[in-house]
Amino acid sequence: MQIKTVDLTKTYRLGPSEITAVNKVNFEVNEARFIAIVGPSGSGKSTLLNLVGLNDYPTSGKIFIDDADALLLSSSKRRKIRLFRMGFVFQTFNLLPTLTALENVELPMSLADKPQKEQREKALRLLETVGLGKRLFHRPKELSMGEMQRVAIARALANNPEIIIADEPTGELDSKTAKEIIALLFDINRKEKNAVIVATHDEKIVDVADTIYTIQDGRLRLEG
Amino acid sequence: MRYTAVVKEMNVLFSGQIMVVSKDAIVIQAIPIGGGMLPQNYTEEEIQNITGVEKAVPILFVTPIGIGGIIQAVPVNFSMGIPVEDWRMILGPTPLKGNIGHFPTNESSNEVVVGPSIADQYNWTVGTNITISNQKLEIAGILDTKLGLLNRCVLMPLKLAQKLYNYPYSVNIITVKPIQGYMQKNLTDSIENQLTYVKALTEDERYDMIEPVLAQVETWNIGLQTVIFLMSLILVMTVTIMSVSERRRDFATLDAMGAPLNYVFRVVIFETSLIGILGGILGIVFGSLAALVLASLYTNIPLAMFFPTFYEIIPPFYMLEIFLAVVFVCCLGGIIPAINATRMRIAEVLRAEY
Repeated sequence: MQIKTVDLTKTYRLGPSEITAVNKVNFEVNEARFIAIVGPSGSGKSTLLNLVGLNDYPTSGKIFIDDADALLLSSSKRRKIRLFRMGFVFQTFNLLPTLTALENVELPMSLADKPQKEQREKALRLLETVGLGKRLFHRPKELSMGEMQRVAIARALANNPEIIIADEPTGELDSKTAKEIIALLFDINRKEKNAVIVATHDEKIVDVADTIYTIQDGRLRLEG
Repeated sequence: MRYTAVVKEMNVLFSGQIMVVSKDAIVIQAIPIGGGMLPQNYTEEEIQNITGVEKAVPILFVTPIGIGGIIQAVPVNFSMGIPVEDWRMILGPTPLKGNIGHFPTNESSNEVVVGPSIADQYNWTVGTNITISNQKLEIAGILDTKLGLLNRCVLMPLKLAQKLYNYPYSVNIITVKPIQGYMQKNLTDSIENQLTYVKALTEDERYDMIEPVLAQVETWNIGLQTVIFLMSLILVMTVTIMSVSERRRDFATLDAMGAPLNYVFRVVIFETSLIGILGGILGIVFGSLAALVLASLYTNIPLAMFFPTFYEIIPPFYMLEIFLAVVFVCCLGGIIPAINATRMRIAEVLRAEY
């Protein structure tokens, strides 16, 4: 999957003033790399990921998915791309509280109308992979923060996405757990060959990333 | 609806007959409320002599009656005194329960026939002695009927009723059977011309008198139903809006994961329907019980007596109607919150939740 942005800009109105969260960003993801976008809070990291993840529309500029203008895609097609080709990991995990770990992982496959048996087998395998083989039937509130983030990562992988978009995945975690989650994401990137874009200000992620961008006042800059 | 159906049922007793009552009496279907009494012999004879009259039957209709010295605040029991030779004209072919007992044949006897509901309530059987207005009476038979009025009625010879309730030689109704083919309206005009102190009502006129009242009751029913419908709708909508707003992040997450466009809408409507189904079932069960308890308290009829006729009091069709209305209200109440849930902007919701 190739994602390319051209002069991507997103502005918000806040009362009388206008805030430019993302300012003419040109950015490209075209291979299974581990990309870190680093910046302080409010620098525009989450906004950029929401735009790239087709969860939001830019004020100006373009996003191309495999050379197709994503802004011209119907809502249904954008949803299909998110469901089948992208996986999302959120800072606050966003697991559905009424579902068990297993059901949370099955959910994207259920939305994709995959057969029940396949859903169950895949969810079991993914939870084993993230080290939660023994916490299958626990609900989110019965899991630790680290475990919840592992379930969220397993869920993101459910439909074999080509790209995983993680917004501050270690933001809520202690240092040790954060290290484990970074290792897990890195491992997935290397084994599954899917691209991982992580918005963070965690130094540990920067250490393992293939490509590092910094973002400040909505402006993105390649660091290495 | 049930209430108006019961009121309409009263007319069955005097179907095809003219009812003569005191001029100032208010008549609800076949029941005179208030008004003066009619001198029995004179009025009966005068009416009998009018052209077109086949038979005139004097009746003393009394409510409430004091059984065992207890006077009921709400009239649920009635007493009717009818000349023994004319019972069939009023009761038609109504049999006695189990064909046990007999109808009184002597005007001066102290035998009465009672309705099945009142008999069940007080454990009366054929041969039981009862006391009404300090007079000892014997039950000669129990009617086998489903008519609401006869169910709660104590029927007795006219003379006995006049003695019991202290209305000597007086009645409050005279029913008139016209000669076949004779115009009822002409007959009522003749009766009213002949006897200036009476009001003669055909079956249609009795319907016409009660119709505005029943229509008003129906209007109130519709008004109440509309208010309840709107209140339920607002309540369901408010609860669903709260429920949706509490789970904005969950719905936004589903959207972010790429859930189909109408998925969240379907989830919300499914939930409200489920609430409607469960609420409908519970509402019918508890509502029916509450209705029976209230009816029992209101009429002094023991609660257990309502259960055998449960489906007559609350017919299954009404239950189904209520159930479907509740589910419909819940689905309808869920639509706006469901649309709101699908319209939320993922990025903003997820950002706000941080």
